[in-house]
Amino acid sequence: MKICIACGMPMKEPADFAMGDTGKDYCVHCARPDGTMQSYEEKLDSLTAFIIRTQGLDKLAANAAARNMMARLPAWKVGD
Amino acid sequence: MSKKQSKTQRQVQKDQTRKHLIETAFEQFAQKGLTTTRTADIAKAAKVSHGTVFAHFSTQEALLNAVIEEFGARVSLRLHELAVRNNSLQDVLAAHLKGLAEFEAFYTRLVIEGRLLPESARNAFIIIQSAISFHISQAAEREMQAGTIDPYPIHLIFNTWVGLIHYYLANNDLFAPEGSVLERYGQELLDHYMRLIASKV
Repeated sequence: MKICIACGMPMKEPADFAMGDTGKDYCVHCARPDGTMQSYEEKLDSLTAFIIRTQGLDKLAANAAARNMMARLPAWKVGD
Repeated sequence: MSKKQSKTQRQVQKDQTRKHLIETAFEQFAQKGLTTTRTADIAKAAKVSHGTVFAHFSTQEALLNAVIEEFGARVSLRLHELAVRNNSLQDVLAAHLKGLAEFEAFYTRLVIEGRLLPESARNAFIIIQSAISFHISQAAEREMQAGTIDPYPIHLIFNTWVGLIHYYLANNDLFAPEGSVLERYGQELLDHYMRLIASKV
């Protein structure tokens, strides 16, 4: 099973993939409306908003968690 | 045998060792605590050399993160499947409890030691909780629309649920000193929670 390179979400069904294209390495949530992958800043903002919406955390705490998580994903990894 | 085949075999063995280390670490962390278990304890329990552990995980923190991520993947994958299949909120929450019950000792450590964990481990746990909350929200939003539960913000749906569970787990010595908190109280807590959020109209 593929894992989205930009957010880590498991992708099983075609609907999980960007544009429903199972050849893509990133998921529907990490794609822009035109199907290209979101930039680092776009993803950081959306992931921060996602953490706030789902857990109600403080914005700075949510942003730090999002940043830390992204640093470990293939799309954004800067080396160990 | 070609070079490619033997390399694949090595890779398979490497993957197996990694898996074995993660499974052993699950048990050791659950028994001895997340912050106090040393890589040497895990190596001994896994019957491998200390160096083998470091060949796979450069630090104790890296191993802990891998274990937390593995826990998250197992629990949230099951919820993902349920949430997208139009299951009821009660079903999704029951599956969450079931998933947690499989890792109850480890999860209880995660709850109790959360504030003491290295930042990366704590962040990994935050991301897992958001994924779980998202799956719960998919079922909750359907029921809010159908009017079977009252409308609440998603973070309160999740925090109220998880707050209840965590209170019992964090005090497991008082609620179930000799067994599983979730087995003993899970159904009661789930029924209570569903009554709390049920539509009052």
